[in-house]
Amino acid sequence: MTTASGPQVGVTLYSFTNEWLTRQFDLPSLMHEVARRGLGPNIEIIGFQNFKEFPDVSDDFAARFRDLVAETGLNPVSCAINSDRFLKPGQQPIDDASLVEYHKRQLRSAKKMGFSLVRYQFALPVELLPEIAPYAEELDIRMGVEVHAPMWAGHPAVQAYGEMYDKLNTPVLGWIPDFGGTASRIPESMLNAARAAGAAESLLDKLKEVWLEPGMSHEKAGRLREWALAEGHAPLHIQAASLAFFILSNNDPRSWAALVDRTIHIHGKFYGVGEDLVEEAIDYATILPLFRDGGFTGTIVSEWEGHAYDTRDAFLQVERHQAMCRKILAA
Amino acid sequence: MLPVERVIGEEGLAAGPEGARLAMRLPWYRSLPFSTVEVGALAIDGRAIDLSGARIEYDGKSWPLAENGEQVNEFWFVRDSAFLVLPDVSIAPGESHQVALTVNVSPPYIPGMTRTNPQTATLVAA
Repeated sequence: MTTASGPQVGVTLYSFTNEWLTRQFDLPSLMHEVARRGLGPNIEIIGFQNFKEFPDVSDDFAARFRDLVAETGLNPVSCAINSDRFLKPGQQPIDDASLVEYHKRQLRSAKKMGFSLVRYQFALPVELLPEIAPYAEELDIRMGVEVHAPMWAGHPAVQAYGEMYDKLNTPVLGWIPDFGGTASRIPESMLNAARAAGAAESLLDKLKEVWLEPGMSHEKAGRLREWALAEGHAPLHIQAASLAFFILSNNDPRSWAALVDRTIHIHGKFYGVGEDLVEEAIDYATILPLFRDGGFTGTIVSEWEGHAYDTRDAFLQVERHQAMCRKILAA
Repeated sequence: MLPVERVIGEEGLAAGPEGARLAMRLPWYRSLPFSTVEVGALAIDGRAIDLSGARIEYDGKSWPLAENGEQVNEFWFVRDSAFLVLPDVSIAPGESHQVALTVNVSPPYIPGMTRTNPQTATLVAA
């Protein structure tokens, strides 16, 4: 069991993307299932995944959600919001005033539904933070920017945000680490899925090589694509293999130490935890003690992303991931 | 096929007074504005379908497919089907057709990324 003084474990409903997309659950039945299995009480929900009325949730929708929270005993900690700047592919992004308003709409909806924080994204230009942070203060809701692959503590964008955080000096702004940025390897289950989709071993060998090289994700994906097309690999095989560039990077797991102080919530990203309670790609035994010993008392939500290539039982995966986190935190 | 890759909706193909009606699913993990979704191609029984007269129907609303790129404020809830209405396609209930649909998505927070999602299925028209 976790204690109130240390990190809590919880779950993001994103882990159940397969079950959601195949309509095995609607929102009430999914929340009841999470509660019944004891995977909460702390949960995260992606507004644009589970709330049909997002980004502008009505009072009635919010009231029904609050009733559902009361019925299930779950605690809506985090609502993931999005920085959708590129509404017309290939054209200019939306103007800054519209993007600021887009964030405010989502903040209002999250607050109305009872969430205590939102996850936001680096796609929000850092210079717009001074326009949004006072609104979050007014609403009394915290905002954590998700440090997601290819970002990590040493990334220039993270440093620019850190400087703005120092300048604004407000308790409503913080970090949400996503451990996919410090993966030690590409998960074998992901490689197996690419193999099952028809990708040749030579393509996967090249993927592993390019994945370790320096550079931005899209540059590395472009490098693999160029090589693979010249070698005669099929575009759909290349697309299957390239997934790794967009969700995983191999930065140093110990680098999270620099962000612990302002961490308000954590995405416990994972791909596959076996019966031995070890995650395939991410070195939890190195990462979690940094946050525990650094005084983090928020929630680590189990975020199974294997659904991007796999249809394993997400509930079993989350149970194992939580058991792994508890074991490491208690050690 | 993974759930996130599915583009042909559970409601399948139907014959109606306005022509053929095909259910589509959004091949992404979250809702997106329709403007970021493109119907890349459609073939029925191996014949490419001209989509110039096609319409999108979603949640009681309808607009020409040709204007879909302007729908920046209309969100496709990821659990729902949207429907492609094809006035120029004549089918009859009970007929079996091979449908090949490609839907492309360009997530609005990942500049430059477009995913192509093809799916082929044999559907019995309702």
